[in-house]
Amino acid sequence: MTTVAEQDVALVDLIDRLLGGGVVIAGDITLAAADVDLVYLGLRAVIASVATAREQGVLPETGSAP
Amino acid sequence: MITLYAITDHPTAALPAGVGLHAVADGELSAVCGPAIAKEISADALWAHERLVEVLMDGRDLLPVRYGTSLPDDAAAARALEERHGTYAAALERVRGAVELAVRVFGEGGGASADDPSPGERSPDRGPRERSAAPDGRGDPPGAGAAYLRARARAAAAEAQARTRVHEPLARAARATALAPLPRAGELLRAAYLVDRDATAAFTARVRDVQERCPKLRITCTGPWPPYSFAGS
Repeated sequence: MTTVAEQDVALVDLIDRLLGGGVVIAGDITLAAADVDLVYLGLRAVIASVATAREQGVLPETGSAP
Repeated sequence: MITLYAITDHPTAALPAGVGLHAVADGELSAVCGPAIAKEISADALWAHERLVEVLMDGRDLLPVRYGTSLPDDAAAARALEERHGTYAAALERVRGAVELAVRVFGEGGGASADDPSPGERSPDRGPRERSAAPDGRGDPPGAGAAYLRARARAAAAEAQARTRVHEPLARAARATALAPLPRAGELLRAAYLVDRDATAAFTARVRDVQERCPKLRITCTGPWPPYSFAGS
């Protein structure tokens, strides 16, 4: 069972990896820079919700096991 | 157009059926390709991509490809493999038998050090930075510069402490590490660890151990992920 906060944590980690990691094949990424900016706009909202979850004490005290 | 998901060196292993995947080979390397995906990014699209790569990762060593990478056709995928064959083969050796675990560390009060005594300055990464963005600082209250420097010093000390108390013990359980140079506001540490597939339980046990010893920090750990942070040259 995962809480909403845990899903947000995983989503931030997912975005970091899919859009910031992985093999880059030069010149062939079809996402426009504006598209990625939109994703990071959304990402900031996710971080805000994580912060809210932490204030409310629902973020797990320990790391969630994979 | 085709979408690239991963580069692997198990060209003969069967691909999951029903999602239109096919492999383009160049020697022992192959690129796992599929039909072009929609250009809009959504959480669902990212998770769908991730689930597919995770299915591929189950039973293969692979280099995940950056999300959104597409090529005109199979011939272009074969050329891309050929051009950097040595680089990809070497990267595959580095990640062979390993997965990636993601760790982030948060302090109390959104990045302030845990013993920050001043409630009015609990978000030094945000407030002072916004103020300093005002034209040449006019309108800042007197002493704002000094308060900013004190806040930055506290944040830097908290980040250094997170590296010592969290990153270093975790790094000893990992094959390789990748530290994000600048954690986001609220984060003291953002790191990826390349861990042997059969050592992930030991790694997460170590995360829990570190969390118990540092109760004022909040540590998140997700994974196992494909080795996104270790796929580059």
